[in-house]
Amino acid sequence: MSFFGSSSAAPAKPAEDVKSAIVRQLQQEAAMANARALIGKINEHCFDACIPAPGSTLSSKESTCLSSCMEKYIAMWNVTSRTYIARVGQESKRLGGQDAAAFAAMATGSPEGSAGGLS
Amino acid sequence: MDPQSQVDISKLSETDKKELNQILSNEAQKSNIQQTVHHLNDVCWKKCATGKISSSTLDRAEEACAQNCVERWMDTNLSILKHLDALRGGH
Repeated sequence: MSFFGSSSAAPAKPAEDVKSAIVRQLQQEAAMANARALIGKINEHCFDACIPAPGSTLSSKESTCLSSCMEKYIAMWNVTSRTYIARVGQESKRLGGQDAAAFAAMATGSPEGSAGGLS
Repeated sequence: MDPQSQVDISKLSETDKKELNQILSNEAQKSNIQQTVHHLNDVCWKKCATGKISSSTLDRAEEACAQNCVERWMDTNLSILKHLDALRGGH
């Protein structure tokens, strides 16, 4: 599956495929939006961290810094995601919420996958 | 957009529609969580990834900082809600 969604690959479909087509497209667009948000943030923060004084070209030092920064940002994203989801699950369990199971399921699920899918 | 990606929803059965609705709200919730994580990571990166970027992995201190950052952000959030509730209850 590609991030830059090849919807052209979808052939004409019988009625029961309609549902899975919608779901697939939905998930593709969600993954795309998530990736776009991540890239935007990485650009913002890593530009700040690695290019303090923009020169006429990108130096190799800056370029190395950008690569490290990007990986580091994604690593932190995964830590943040894990911690946040664990905490929300905990809180909703404390309040006797029925969402606890859903959050617990998500903790092992997709947020990491969508970031990991970039590499 | 792409005409091939247009699908005819009217062909769906009631059960399919219900299931689709469920999937849709799950995806919406997931997307909500992801957006919060983007925001949180934005905040916590500023607080925890100070100094030069010398490695592509998080060191122990940075990871602990990120975890604390999220937990304290949640504490703040809950504390504000609690206080707001108390204020409202005072009337």
